[in-house]
Amino acid sequence: MSPREESAALHGRVRGVIRAWANGEAVPESFDAIACDLARFQARHVAGYGRLCAARGVDPSALRSASGAPAVPTDAFKASTVFAFDPADASVTFRTSGTTVGARGTHFMRDVGTYDAAALAFGRAMLVATASVPLAVLVVGPSDTEAPDSSLSHMTSLFARAWTDATEPRVATHHVLGGALDVDGLRARIAALGAAPALALATSFALVHLLDALGGEILPLPAGSRLMQTGGFKGRSREVDAVTLRREVARTFAVPERSVIGEYGMTELSSQFWEATVARADAPVGLYVEPPWARVVPVDPETLRPVHEGEIGIARIEDLANVDSAFAVLAQDRVRRVPGGFELLGRAPGAPPRGCSIALDEMLGGVA
Amino acid sequence: MRSLEERVADVRRVLDAAAHVYAERRALVPALVASTGLSAEGVELGFESLEREATDEELSSLVAAAGDARSVHVVLSANVFVAPVRALALACAAAPRVTVRPSSRDPVLAEALVRACRDLDVSIVTARNIAELDADCIHAYGRDETLEALRASARPGVRIVGHGAGLGVALVSRPAPSSAAELLARDVVAFDQRGCLSPRLALVLGGPDGARAFARHLDAALETLQRRVPRGSLAADERAEAARWRESVAFAGELWSADAHTVGLVPDPTVTLVPPPGRHVLVVPVDDEAVARATLAPLSRYVVAVGSDDPAAATRVAPPHARVSPLGRMQRPPLDGPVDRRTPRPSIAVT
Repeated sequence: MSPREESAALHGRVRGVIRAWANGEAVPESFDAIACDLARFQARHVAGYGRLCAARGVDPSALRSASGAPAVPTDAFKASTVFAFDPADASVTFRTSGTTVGARGTHFMRDVGTYDAAALAFGRAMLVATASVPLAVLVVGPSDTEAPDSSLSHMTSLFARAWTDATEPRVATHHVLGGALDVDGLRARIAALGAAPALALATSFALVHLLDALGGEILPLPAGSRLMQTGGFKGRSREVDAVTLRREVARTFAVPERSVIGEYGMTELSSQFWEATVARADAPVGLYVEPPWARVVPVDPETLRPVHEGEIGIARIEDLANVDSAFAVLAQDRVRRVPGGFELLGRAPGAPPRGCSIALDEMLGGVA
Repeated sequence: MRSLEERVADVRRVLDAAAHVYAERRALVPALVASTGLSAEGVELGFESLEREATDEELSSLVAAAGDARSVHVVLSANVFVAPVRALALACAAAPRVTVRPSSRDPVLAEALVRACRDLDVSIVTARNIAELDADCIHAYGRDETLEALRASARPGVRIVGHGAGLGVALVSRPAPSSAAELLARDVVAFDQRGCLSPRLALVLGGPDGARAFARHLDAALETLQRRVPRGSLAADERAEAARWRESVAFAGELWSADAHTVGLVPDPTVTLVPPPGRHVLVVPVDDEAVARATLAPLSRYVVAVGSDDPAAATRVAPPHARVSPLGRMQRPPLDGPVDRRTPRPSIAVT
């Protein structure tokens, strides 16, 4: 089989899992079976992954479970090409936000269909499946035509197209235009909803800018509405702690705090993780859940081995939908497994560094 | 107002105090091992960077760079343990009265130095509320957030001169034989690479083969030095950053890793994977000086020092503010002003 045929077959297997789960059927094969084949494919065709396996003494052909395969740090997406094909073969290219040293992580995708299938299947289950009527979608962020290299804009635009239609009030709207927040447009859009409940999709920093612009004004969404918030601040707005932001967002849009749903995702992945407060009545705030084609494993930041149950570790994310890049990604966020899912604890606060050698965070933290 | 000669004389008194501390250094080693995380041998090596001598010309430059104040308060935070000497020299050049707040984590050398300062109006102040101090100028050392916090809490009208964190870079024009690598290893090992002069990147002119040869030489040189000056303890954060960096470099290039050091090599000119301190060096091949300059450009605001086996080439490649020195001498810049010569960040507190 050519690499392209191999890739297509793997995409097909992953989509088979997604489809089966979305249809309520038994998934056709195990997570580890696909993960090991992905590791072998990526070790053969992603040059850096072959080197990483060799450096770690891992023989991909001998893998029996996903956990034996090394994970690719997100930093590698900034320094190297993490792709099984020539970048010219990518149908979609997503990029992370910049840093003060100008490095942006790049995630090439040859076939974005698997990303789309994964996002839609799990997003539908976690965001809209429990709604009693179809929701209008409004996005406090740019569309994918305005931000074509943003995976987040791709996802929100995908949701907007999939879950709405052209009939009022269900027409989808975006409220960051030309890089600026469209407060008046958002105000008018919410007023036009009438009693139709909505799903608002927003980044955390856009919400902070919106709250600042509103200056205490309330923009009540109709009953039954919910709001997704995602992402950090990365110097693009003032920092607001998660509890305060959730409370302020809930107050401003007049929705219950449980209807403010956190998303955990990143450019380097093809799957997303959601807070389960809307999908499961008994889920506590702060509990994030994975789809069956992705796992979040807390690992020791030094040994990179899984920590004991209930301990905090760095997130090693195994995402079967990352067929042509890296199925195992090492993030920098701290996580902890809890019954039913995991808690997202943010970046490690870290002790003040010794010496005056500049810290990586200080050098890489800001947006270019 | 003191004359230039009087200021130089005061700075010489600081150097005399430093010489006294150096002579008595063995008594300080255990406390410095505990506070810095360096090995005892690492502390001994660090003492070799303690300034004890300077020419009149260097001290005249230092006095000119120091500015003028009635009273200077020195805030020492994250820094290498010998840094208080230069900080005190600058403060005593600027003002006849100096107070010092040592780093709470590493007060040993600052306290010893102030004790040894005779015939100078220098004292330790432990109060953290700088608004209560009678200083018209604050020399502050630390990270950006520390400096910002000081600016926010200083009395109106107080001048604040900030000295931030940074890093060193090596430019290597002759990757073989191994002499350049051996010299660079000395600069890396000092203070376990936690100084703002410490080299963390080595740009090697002439393509990947030379860079690979240099990386091997550097690996061997660091291993040899480890036997003489063992690396001290790394904090959990440092160990975690190192583990992550090693994985990233293993993906992007090649690694030569031992218990107490790692040398990485990436095939393309990039500074994206700057290693963390703790004896980790990224070797980057660059075709020529123009590529070296372009490669360094995104980092230039952080580069405090460039060491090289070809100082003329380094001068052409280095950011204008960076100190240029021969390899093996990066940790011993002349006492002619602040270590960090980036545009000083003086500001007047307005709150």
